[in-house]
This record gives sequence, structure tokens and C-alpha cells, in this order.
Amino acid sequence: MADRRRINGPVGATTPPIFDKPAGPAAAKTRDAIRKIFLKTGITPSASGSAYLELENPNPQRPGNTSLKLSCTVHGPRSLPRSAPFSPHIILTTHVKYAPFATRQRRGYLRDSSERDLGVHLETALRGAIIADRWPKSGVDIISQKDDEGWDMMNVLSGCITVASAAIADAGIDCVDTVAGGVAALVCKDDKTAPTIVMDPVVAEHDSILAACCVAYLPTRDEITNMWFKGRLPGADMMVYDKLMEKSLVACRCANRVIVQELNETVKKGQGIS
Amino acid sequence: MAQTIAIPGQLLGPSSKYVAGPGTHIHEANLYSSVLGTVTIAQPEKKIAPGPAKRLTKIAGLPSSSAQLPTISVSRTGISEKREVLPEVGNVVLCRVTRIQPRQATVAILVVGDTVLEAEWQGVIRPQDVRATEKDKVKIYESFRPGDIVRAQVISLGDQASYYLATASNDLGVIMATSEAGNVMYPVSWKEYRDPETGLNENRKVAKPF
Repeated sequence: MADRRRINGPVGATTPPIFDKPAGPAAAKTRDAIRKIFLKTGITPSASGSAYLELENPNPQRPGNTSLKLSCTVHGPRSLPRSAPFSPHIILTTHVKYAPFATRQRRGYLRDSSERDLGVHLETALRGAIIADRWPKSGVDIISQKDDEGWDMMNVLSGCITVASAAIADAGIDCVDTVAGGVAALVCKDDKTAPTIVMDPVVAEHDSILAACCVAYLPTRDEITNMWFKGRLPGADMMVYDKLMEKSLVACRCANRVIVQELNETVKKGQGIS
Repeated sequence: MAQTIAIPGQLLGPSSKYVAGPGTHIHEANLYSSVLGTVTIAQPEKKIAPGPAKRLTKIAGLPSSSAQLPTISVSRTGISEKREVLPEVGNVVLCRVTRIQPRQATVAILVVGDTVLEAEWQGVIRPQDVRATEKDKVKIYESFRPGDIVRAQVISLGDQASYYLATASNDLGVIMATSEAGNVMYPVSWKEYRDPETGLNENRKVAKPF
């Protein structure tokens, strides 16, 4: 019997569309800037708050190299299920899900361990920003979905943090600050050259990534709510760890500026209608 | 007039100049916005010309200087019609009776103050909270019936599932009721509703009409 619960893809092989002319070459990404971010709030009418984020694709000519697309919905504050114990503060639940078509290898509908891991990181990052005791006895679900393929986990996480922050502000949940995510990485070309630190690394552009760092940061408070560090650092430079952190903080500040601008526009739009 | 826009984490001013209103929080003696919205500053109400000074009969705290400060708040009006509001202790709510048990009436809270809620929250009215007098003689089934619309006051956040509500006041109680025959009834006394068609009376904890 056919699986009627979900909409499955076609069974047979399909022919992908072929675009004969690639778009014009994008400006080369400089090392001290993050990719351009498109952010929009209020895209899902049924949710309390929602946001959509898209990262600029630095080299659109390459086949199968599309931009990072993330959508986030916030449901709540709403009443907790009957089985839940009394809670004097809001219960935060986060889910990160790759769309089945988001990666080369088709993903399942159930969350796997890497998605659950990203969800825990996202929850930690947001928990530090939300004023939880303003909403007793209620729960909020934050669901981030990655809609397109081809990027590594840290970039996805920093995008998830940024988009969730905008969606929470859109939902009207009390926060101490707009949290933003940023990534920095230590990359090297080959064994002879010294490794360099880049902000917002594009994995495909670098030959090898030695270490990477993803932080969630509250700019006005100057506080970090979540940090994820991965890789091996060369022992020669003691300060490289600090430098990597600082670079990712700069990336966070850049992302935060996008949030601030979009939220300002959201308010202006709301005033224009009313 | 374009109002000042506030985004979460935006500095609004020192806490020595303003009183924190809804949608703001205090961090290190400064006021910050905590929601996305527009800033409103409400000047404190001017005191009405004081009458002859009364003799102090009870020990009052020192007159606080904060009462004189303007209140700053961030409101979400205009951004979205959907306003998430939670019932708070002291709020007057409208609710529908969903279930009657000898020890409690279960209700669904529909309206808080003048805001219609997005989600339904469950509440409970216990017999000792139905009225202020003769509490031991209260019978839940003589006070409410399923389907009644009740005006009540939140007295506690309650347990995990429900808020605790009380109707122990003249203007709290059933405001809309249907009879067993299915007709809308009108109140005839503080404890009775009458069906206009059959003429039969039914017992309720009636709210005093305004």
C-alpha cells in the first residue's frame, strides 16, 4: 500500500532542469566580510512568528552549489500538554530539520543525530536570550528547516540562530537582546603557507579547514550564549584561539545588523498598514 | 507621527529616569526593550488636589519617588493583530464551563481583560471560590452548568494543568446561560436564571448585571 501520510518524491528518475546561461560572476568574497544575508519576517501566517533567511551564493556558476536557505517558525506561547509538570517559566523546544531534498543524499523524515545535535545547540543559544519567566506555564516550539543543499553544519547553525532570533522577535516573546550567530574558521591552502582566519567560511572555497568556531552572541550585552568549537589548532600560536573567537564575534555583529534592519522594517510595515 | 521603534535589547534610558512598563527589562540600572514594537512614554497621573491631610492610621512606606517618574513601555500594537497574552493573577477573564464535577468546575478561558486569546487555557473553579459567603453550602452543580459563560477572576497560576479562578464577588459569576430545554435564560436573582419559554428557574451563581 502506498504511503499516504506524506508526499513522497517521484519514484522513477527525473531530469533536472538545465539552465544554459549562468548568472554573471559575483563579486569575490573578501576575507573580512560575511556573505550577504537576506532576512524576512512574517512569512508563515499560521505561526505566531516566522522568518526566512537566505545566504548569498558566492559562486553561482558551479553546478549543484546553491545558496543556503533557512526558514523558521515559532509557535506559542501556548499551554503545555496535560502531562507536563508545572513550570514557572516558558518551556523552550527547538527542532532543526533538513528538508528531505536539502542535501545531495536524500534525508529521512525523522530527525537524525546531527539534526538533534543542532537542535540542542540552537536551544542553548536561544535560552540565554529569552526572558523565560515572563511567560509562566507555557511552551514555545521553534522549528527551523533547511530548505536547500550543500553547506556544513556550523554555517547552518549560525544561520539557524540568526533566523530563529528574528522569528522570536516577530512572535513577541520577551528577549534581552537579538541573538545572532557567526562562524569563523582557520583555513590553510597547503602545508607551506601559514594558516589564515576567515569569517563565514565557504567550505567549497578552501582546501582544508583546520578549525572552526560558531558562536551565538548578544551584541548589546556583549555576552556569548553558545559556542561550538571544532578542529585542531597549531600549537605554535597561542593567540589563535582568541583570534578565531574574535573573528566569529565580528561575524555575529554583522548578522545582527541584518536582524536589526529587518525588524525595523517589520515595524514600519506594520505601522503603514494600520 | 512616526513613533520610535524599539527592537529587543535596545537601550531606552536609565532606570532613574523612567519606570519599567510592559515590554521592557532592567539590566545594570538601565532600561532595555525586550520585545519588538513602538515606544510609549506615559506621564504619571497628576495627583488630584489633596484633601485635608488625614491622620496616619497605618504605617505606610516612605513615599516612593518612582511614582513621579514617567512609565516607559514597548507595545506591539500595529505589528500584528495576534497578541499573545497570558492570564495573570488578578485578571478578570471570561470563560466557558466545559465540565462539572462535585469538587470543581473546569472551564476554558477565552478572554483576558479585553483581549481574545489565541489559545485556550484551562481553568478550575473550586467550590470554596464560588462565592464569598456560606462557602460550605456551595454545590457546584447549583452554581454552574456546562456551556455557561462565566466572568471570573484569576486567583492563582494553579497547578500544571489549570489556572485557579474565583467568582466570589457580586459582579462575577455566570453571565450567559442556557436552560435544559436549550433556551437562553435571563437572570432573576443572585442565584437563579429563568427560562423565558418554559418559565422554569435554574440555579446559577449569577453575576450582577452592570
